Amino acid sequence: MQRANLYHDKRAQWAAYLVFFAALAVIPLIMDDPYTMNQYARYGVFGILALSVSLLWGYGGILSLGQGIAFGMAAYGMGATMQMQYQDPVNDPMPSFMLTNELEALPVVWEPFWHTHWGVLLAIGIPVLFFIIFGVLMFQARLAGAFVAIMTLAMLGAWYSMAYDMQPYTAGFNGISPPNAFVAFGVEVDPYSNLIYWVSLGVLGFLTLSIKALLQTKFGTVIQAIRDDPERARFLGYNVAYYQTVLFALAGLVAAFAGVVWVMISQYVSPTELDIFFSISIVIWAAVGGRMSLFGAIFGAMFIKAAETNLGDDFQATWFVILGVVFIVVVRFLPKGIAGLFEIAIGFIPYRLKSSSRSDVNSTSAGD
Amino acid sequence: MSVILELTDVSKAYDQFKVVDSFNFKVNQGELRCLLGPNGAGKTTTIDLITGRQKATSGKIMFNGREITGLREDRIAKRGVGRKFQVPAVFKELTVRDNLRVAFSNNTDPFANMLRFSRKEGRERLDQVVELAGLQDRLDELGGNLSHGETQWLEIGMVLTQSPKLLLMDEPTAGMTEQETQKTSEIFNRLKGQHTLIVVEHDMAFVREIADVITLMHMGKTLAEGPMEVVENDPKVKEVYLGSEGITDAA
Amino acid sequence: MSVHDFWTPFALEPFISALIIGLSIASIWLVAALGLTIIYGTMGVINMAHGEFIMLGAYSAWVLQHFVGIPWLLCLPLSFIIVAFIGWLIERGLIRHLYDRPLDTLLATWGVSLVFIQSIRLIFGGSPQYIDAPSWLKTVMVIDFVHIPWMRIFIFFLALGLVAMTFAILYKTNMGVQVRAVMQNKEMAASFGINSKRVYGLTFAYGAGLAGISGAMFTGLQTIFPDMGMHYVVEAFLVVVTGGGEIIGSVATAGIMGQMFSVFSYFTNDTFGRFVLFVLIVIFLRFRPQGIFSPSMARR
Repeated sequence: MQRANLYHDKRAQWAAYLVFFAALAVIPLIMDDPYTMNQYARYGVFGILALSVSLLWGYGGILSLGQGIAFGMAAYGMGATMQMQYQDPVNDPMPSFMLTNELEALPVVWEPFWHTHWGVLLAIGIPVLFFIIFGVLMFQARLAGAFVAIMTLAMLGAWYSMAYDMQPYTAGFNGISPPNAFVAFGVEVDPYSNLIYWVSLGVLGFLTLSIKALLQTKFGTVIQAIRDDPERARFLGYNVAYYQTVLFALAGLVAAFAGVVWVMISQYVSPTELDIFFSISIVIWAAVGGRMSLFGAIFGAMFIKAAETNLGDDFQATWFVILGVVFIVVVRFLPKGIAGLFEIAIGFIPYRLKSSSRSDVNSTSAGD
Repeated sequence: MSVILELTDVSKAYDQFKVVDSFNFKVNQGELRCLLGPNGAGKTTTIDLITGRQKATSGKIMFNGREITGLREDRIAKRGVGRKFQVPAVFKELTVRDNLRVAFSNNTDPFANMLRFSRKEGRERLDQVVELAGLQDRLDELGGNLSHGETQWLEIGMVLTQSPKLLLMDEPTAGMTEQETQKTSEIFNRLKGQHTLIVVEHDMAFVREIADVITLMHMGKTLAEGPMEVVENDPKVKEVYLGSEGITDAA
Repeated sequence: MSVHDFWTPFALEPFISALIIGLSIASIWLVAALGLTIIYGTMGVINMAHGEFIMLGAYSAWVLQHFVGIPWLLCLPLSFIIVAFIGWLIERGLIRHLYDRPLDTLLATWGVSLVFIQSIRLIFGGSPQYIDAPSWLKTVMVIDFVHIPWMRIFIFFLALGLVAMTFAILYKTNMGVQVRAVMQNKEMAASFGINSKRVYGLTFAYGAGLAGISGAMFTGLQTIFPDMGMHYVVEAFLVVVTGGGEIIGSVATAGIMGQMFSVFSYFTNDTFGRFVLFVLIVIFLRFRPQGIFSPSMARR
């Protein structure tokens, strides 16, 4: 019988999340090194990506190996926006890579990116639209499990080829390097400043808390029910394909946000953002950290990437061997990842449920 | 008394083999109909066809005056058809409480549900169902950790929460004790009238307790139909069951 | 850039060359996918480390030639054996425990893939290595306007040979019958005394071996480097899944895919060709997830 566990107490969870984000928010005041802030801001993006996988896979039961699609598309959209912020409509309307590719005029698809608000909107909107269409395609046909995983992988491969190939439009393997930092509402978001860190953290925090709240709604409960037994859900009257598509689009939205923030930080976008290895790595971070826990997935992403970055070039290959082994062990033995171990540990703390009334607001389901 | 469910010449064929063969079936509102027959007679397939899990090869299925042949499962469920599976199907990683919450499917729109935080909606019905299913002490237990009997009760509870006009129960007492079976027959007897029940069963004593009318299927068709005494003594039935005690101990 | 530069106009001779190259590409994808077809078709296992089995085969051939001095042609069957053994170990140690969890198998084998790539990188470094193929295979056959490297012709026929050998094993040997029995119905096969564990182990090893020998073959066409397998894995998967996990399906799919890719690439270029191909496959799978030849999986 499941002993009541503090780990599942909703109020404790919210408190933990708020403390976590508050602590992270304070870091720039202690560190005060612009280069480090840029680094840390990147970890925030990885956290957002892991969040997207945790939502879709941990709570929705849908494994997508192609979150990179939304990430990459949004990154390109943002790259275009930032590039056009630099261009001058009268004297210098076309990015240099287009001139190198002998384009005569700015392609029509690039036009909207003259306006920053349109650019950002499209950067986020187009991936979401794509995920909706792609989701309808897959879930209407009741595809599931490994099939969905392979399809998302193939789709990612297709888009990678596209970005690589359409040189006049995407700058191909060279990538787009907007010369200036992103400017929003007259404010320059300097990639080497405390501001970029807070932007990244802000987006991460906002998305995480929103999703946490969403998971506590009936939608959240239903989506987990669908994960456990889609047929049963259907017989209760739920349009499973609809729910899955909505969730898939939401996960795409989250990954798209990550893409937008990423280019603010790196001032560079290339087909690497659509790389297969990277997209699957997100799944590894979420799995090791704990896909059933938003916190776990985010933490897993940050921890793994931090280790990778700080271990130095000589250790890279060794690190990946270790990561690979850890991943295999997690898949084989620890479906809940490190968060699962944490859950067991917290379980030892004496704790009793607030009340046994049926309308207990604190009652929960497994995971957060 | 109006007809709530009507199957007209419904067939389900796999290549040449007909699992359900021009089956005609009429159930009146408020009735408790038992669907009996040996394994392979077509009972579960019939339930599948009604609930939309399988598509009929031919024939027409009418529910509440509207055609539901070939509709998607959730559409049929929303029209008021609930189903309890042979092998109990509950949401294993959700608590008993959440299982019941999901079953309270008055509004199934995903976006509407994104705004629903309140644990209070449907509480009255949930409390009643929990009481009935005897799961008051197990509300925070995960669905996957329940005993077999408890899982059966949870699923029954879920179907009751859904409160459909027509309930299709596939072997609801499988694995239950005497007491639990007794309780189930009490519940069913209470439900009929307000709801219509179709119960697929093997336990003859249980069937005797609850059935208004019995439909005995054989090879995808109706072999006999009527109240228990009539079906029991039907010569065709006796013939098929080869000189045994009639259907009294048919497996 | 104008449409003119992107789109190559039709001309008979280059087009025919493209078709012939298409056959070569098809044979490469087929032999790369063959092992995966066996494994997926028999066991339903999605082995994400398949590309790495190919890579290990290539490295085996290189090591055998470079350090032991074995002639290239002999390296091929030896690579088969080496990688088959590695595959057998993986099946025993890991895959065996995940049969009822297909998604986890996919992920765990991705982990294996990662370990293999990085281990090879640790041992041999990341720079590309060159292998020395026999000189007679390094020439080009010329018929009229058609130029085909002999190596591609060799690979083409070797691929067909491996398919034929696989069919022979499956349909003419005792073990083959057992494999097919387990493929169709594991429980029933067990009741006839067939040890499905042993069958799975040998099947996985055989599939890995096929990947290994194809990797060895590919050294004749390209340099070898730790993540070379990645270039084959997605295409191999698409061949297997579209073919429905049957050898005939994979042959047909590889043939069609190879030709389509070659033709698209002829008219446009390699990457765009790949893009169109992938999208077409995704659309195809959406409507026929069971593959080309299998019976329908649609709602019954």
